[in-house]
Amino acid sequence: MIPSPPLRALLMMLLALTLILLFAGGTALALSEEELERRVQQISDELRCPTCQALSVKDSEASFSKQIRDKVRRMVEEGQSDDDIKAYFVARYGEWILRAPKKEGLGLVLWILPGAAILGVGGLLVWRVRRSAKQAESRQTAPPSLSPQQRERLDRDLKRFKEED
Amino acid sequence: MWMSWKFWSVMGTIGALAALFTYGFTLNPKLVPSPLVGRPAPAFEVQQINGTERVSLAELKGTPFILNFWASWCVACREEARVLQQAHLTYEKGQKKIRVIGIAIQDTAIPALSFARQYGKTYFLGLDNATGDIALNYGLYGVPETFFIDGQGIIRFKQIGPVTPEMIQSEVARLTAAQ
Repeated sequence: MIPSPPLRALLMMLLALTLILLFAGGTALALSEEELERRVQQISDELRCPTCQALSVKDSEASFSKQIRDKVRRMVEEGQSDDDIKAYFVARYGEWILRAPKKEGLGLVLWILPGAAILGVGGLLVWRVRRSAKQAESRQTAPPSLSPQQRERLDRDLKRFKEED
Repeated sequence: MWMSWKFWSVMGTIGALAALFTYGFTLNPKLVPSPLVGRPAPAFEVQQINGTERVSLAELKGTPFILNFWASWCVACREEARVLQQAHLTYEKGQKKIRVIGIAIQDTAIPALSFARQYGKTYFLGLDNATGDIALNYGLYGVPETFFIDGQGIIRFKQIGPVTPEMIQSEVARLTAAQ
């Protein structure tokens, strides 16, 4: 049985809508997979591999790192926040597990100290350079200070020079 | 005099930094104190490798126990295998009723059982799952690691590396004194 034109148009619209929804749903799913992987990589990069030297969980292929990455992935899939996930590992391994110290308490000092040291040393250098330049300038512009004996000798020599001239 | 003051300030700063770096290199990163010590042990439930018995933290309430994490591929675990077996015979079978529980991590049943037979382990041996849930919950850095847990389920001591008879003796004394 062939459907009537209005019904055929409605069926076509429904089909188009279904296709659009399927496509949009697929794209959204792909995006969420991408987003999930991005978060797993980001959190894993912030965690220290427990069995390696100076490697993040993200960059390590050690068994513990793989298990930690899997755990992070499961926690992200469960909908836990980045802070919750990091707090889980800090509660078990201590602050040590975080590759960057927290920006609070003693950790804040560690964040500020390098910048403060660079600014301090830079400031000191600028001050020293300016002072040296000022001293050199004043040496060039100031009249030479002579002792009375030197002044007397200079006058004598100048007088003789004029007489000879 | 001024030069001398400047010289010694610079030398003092360099010396202090060098001393700090040297001290840092002498520290063992595995000696970072565990945040779990003094806190309730994370819950776990595990089945015996070669049997049907199941053990969980909830069931162990009221019984102090030694929780040892090991693996058949772990060389250092061979060192302590007989020490733990002796602790099982002395305390679990003896008067103090302190249980010894071993959980193999990143391992499979056959090599784990082969290791247990070779080193005469007869105490409860379980196997962590492939995703390492128990190992991660206990914040392990590797194997062997051993936790001494009191009857209230509080972790009283954590040892990274093989246990010794003297360590077990002193920690068991602390666990039983707290009872």
